[in-house]
Amino acid sequence: MGNYKQGILTAGLLFLAAALFGIWFWQGRERSFEPLRIVLIQKAVDDTDFWTSVYEGGRMAARELGVELTIMGPEQESETELQNQMILEAIEQKPDAIALTPSGYQETIPYAEQIEEAGITLVLMDSTMEKEMGESLIATDNFEAGSKMGAYMKQFVDEETIIGVVGHVRGSSTATERERGFREGLGEAQKQIVKVVFCDSSEDKAYDLTCDLLKDYPKMNLIVGLNEYSAVGAARAVKDLGISENCHMAGFDSSIEEIQLLEEGIFDAIVIQKPFNMGYLGIETAVRAARGRDVETYVDSGSELITKENMYSEENQKLLFPFFGKIGRDDGV
Amino acid sequence: MKKNFLTRFRSIRTSIIFSFALLIIFALLIFLVLSLKLTRETALENSAEYTSQLIGQVNNDIDSYIGYMENISFIVASSKDVRDYLFEEDLSLERQKELRERISGVFQTITDTRDDITNIALLPEERECLINRGKSQLNPFINVSELSWYQDALEAGGKAVLSSSHVQNAIHGSYDWVVTLSRNISRGEDPGAGGVFFVDLNYSAISNLCERISLGNRGYIYILDGTGGIVYHPQQQLIYSGMKQELITEVMEAETSFFETKDGRLYTISRSEQTGWIVVGVSVVSELMQRVDAARKIYVLIAAVLFMAALILAYLLSDEITKPIKALEKSMKEVEKGNFAHAVLVVREENEIGHLSRNFNMMTEEIQNLIEQRDQEQQIKRKSELKVLQSQINPHFLYNTLDSIIWMAEWGKNQEVVRMTSSLAKLLRRSISNEQETVTVAEEVEYTETYLTIQKMRYKDKLEYEILVDPEILQEKIIKLILQPLVENAIYHGIKYKEGKGMLRIQGFRQENQIVLQVQDDGKGMDADTLAHIFEKHTRDTRSNGVGLNNVNERIQLYYGCGYGLSFRSRLEEGTEAVITLPLGAKEENDGEL
Repeated sequence: MGNYKQGILTAGLLFLAAALFGIWFWQGRERSFEPLRIVLIQKAVDDTDFWTSVYEGGRMAARELGVELTIMGPEQESETELQNQMILEAIEQKPDAIALTPSGYQETIPYAEQIEEAGITLVLMDSTMEKEMGESLIATDNFEAGSKMGAYMKQFVDEETIIGVVGHVRGSSTATERERGFREGLGEAQKQIVKVVFCDSSEDKAYDLTCDLLKDYPKMNLIVGLNEYSAVGAARAVKDLGISENCHMAGFDSSIEEIQLLEEGIFDAIVIQKPFNMGYLGIETAVRAARGRDVETYVDSGSELITKENMYSEENQKLLFPFFGKIGRDDGV
Repeated sequence: MKKNFLTRFRSIRTSIIFSFALLIIFALLIFLVLSLKLTRETALENSAEYTSQLIGQVNNDIDSYIGYMENISFIVASSKDVRDYLFEEDLSLERQKELRERISGVFQTITDTRDDITNIALLPEERECLINRGKSQLNPFINVSELSWYQDALEAGGKAVLSSSHVQNAIHGSYDWVVTLSRNISRGEDPGAGGVFFVDLNYSAISNLCERISLGNRGYIYILDGTGGIVYHPQQQLIYSGMKQELITEVMEAETSFFETKDGRLYTISRSEQTGWIVVGVSVVSELMQRVDAARKIYVLIAAVLFMAALILAYLLSDEITKPIKALEKSMKEVEKGNFAHAVLVVREENEIGHLSRNFNMMTEEIQNLIEQRDQEQQIKRKSELKVLQSQINPHFLYNTLDSIIWMAEWGKNQEVVRMTSSLAKLLRRSISNEQETVTVAEEVEYTETYLTIQKMRYKDKLEYEILVDPEILQEKIIKLILQPLVENAIYHGIKYKEGKGMLRIQGFRQENQIVLQVQDDGKGMDADTLAHIFEKHTRDTRSNGVGLNNVNERIQLYYGCGYGLSFRSRLEEGTEAVITLPLGAKEENDGEL
């Protein structure tokens, strides 16, 4: 009887071992995640290179990480109220995470709070709000971008140089940070900044303000714009006044006009952000945060200083011209 | 001490099952590993093969684009109009305009028929440029002769040169992503003079080719030019930002058409002879292995089923092997207990176990025979021993009797002398006559009475007796010399020590199918201790007849079995009762032997 029992026992043990082995083998590669659902709410879903790049970067990350990505956003950046409604809509969908590029410095806060209250992971991109929120912020380090510009422009500065700054929105984080960085980059020369004006992101206003500046300081020979609109407006004014020979300029962001102004030599340099990287990193961070992993509270998506000399380098042309076949066309001038 | 692996278990059966299971697990593991490896390798090769075909097709398509551009450049370079326009000296303005219109016409036809041609232009050193339909201008802020594709064309002499992907900034107001094929057109002997012709292939033609092809969810295609520069990569921006790394030198130096990386990606490489470009297909191995995973499940399932089947087989086989061994073991235990009847094994198989069982059977039979033989011999020996004993008459008794006769003769008691002497003669004759083992009850009683006659004469006033035997049993045969020893015992151990006259009563009757013979005395009796040891040898004292009580009992039991024999009841100072039980009508089977 004893032997019999021992036999049964051995057989049982062996079978158990085989079963465990089988289960291990079976489950080895089976552990797949239910695809996470992420919503990306942009300030705008338009045909600008910036937002399209953010969108493309986000899509690239989603595809690579195997998550389901929904992208929302009003047609124009100014439609803060519409974006807020979209946030509510997104919360309804109960996604695992929302990556938000907040339109309003203050107006968006209550809506962002609702995201967190609904237990949805929140990641901010591109801009901050008055209240610090979200697991992580993925944005251009505007201070660093500004300081890159300052450091480059410093070479054109001598004792006589008079510097003017055309900002976009007074008090906005980007304008403040870029200006601070620019001053930092200039070092000692920052004393030669005689005036900072704000154009409220209007090219025409920037044009007028620049004209006024040059009227007030006829010897002003270094002007920078802190975003696309202020830079383009200022450059047009300088170009129209015919003083570009003597006036060094730098701007932020890129558009065809800016690129042409750079080629023309109106701009000595432009500092561009990396929206594709921002979108990619934003979604990647959102996924990591939704999966409960540690994320950096701040991720710099990077910036690049572009000059006429390096604008067509292998690396930079992809930044300046992220998409093919869209800009200009055949004989269009 | 190191034990043998298989003998570590207490039973053969466990050893068999265990080693079977081990063997099977081992075999199955090898089977699993090998088949999975093989399946995996095959799947990988198939995928590489499939990807190779896909990216080979991409390369072919690119080659055909480039071939087409080269054809255009060749046609343009060798066109008489173009050569006239470039090289003819002192061209009149009208002639120039006429040539320009004709060349522009050709360009227009080309751009009209081919969507994928973005720009086509002739840039003479000395004369006016011809761009597309003639309406586009050169970018005034760019010095075309400094552009790399322009310089490459000059360096290459008259050969067509292909650029990598780039933004074409030579034309005013447009910044298209293109691949440029440029060619220097010269007069041969004077390479400097002449001009450069270029044609731009819309980059989206190439990127669409790559994007159209799907290599699983996470796979992709990228293209390197001959120097390792990226022509197309879906993650170009991430790579330039340093956020992604792509294998470039590995691909450039790869000797095989595909390789697998440590992080589980399969790189498949296709080189184009014509362009020098390398199309690389990257697929994620885990995606490719989904079918292998399915195969793995089936393999594991098969393995599990095989394992179970083998285990059951091992179980049954071990059962089959150990069953006769167990039977043998059980049989041996029976033999140990002396149970020969159940020890015989049924031999079913003609193998080693069968031989063993047969030998075992022979052995037990032999042992059984030997034991029976021994028992018989002992019985015979014992019987003859008893026979010798029963034939002896105690010399003391003889001496005492003869002494009594002498005294009686001296006193002139002739009649008593005659009676006693004849009684003694009767006794002696009976003890001499040895031929008959059994006698009738009557004869046995008569013999006892003879003995009592002598004793009564010797102990005159001390002994009184009475014999009451049922005539029904008188003719029953019983073994002889069983009653007299009891009487002797009663006299010597009971009555002899009694004050005054003792009474001895012999009774014989039938009780159911038994004969009962009782000898009662009213002597001094026996205590419990004496009673308990009554059958032991030392109770046979020298004065008694040679036939002791244990002799009587032993003989009865030897003859009739254990159910019969001698028993005593006694009380101190009151007397003793000895009872013999015998079977009624016992056969005289052993007659003659004793």
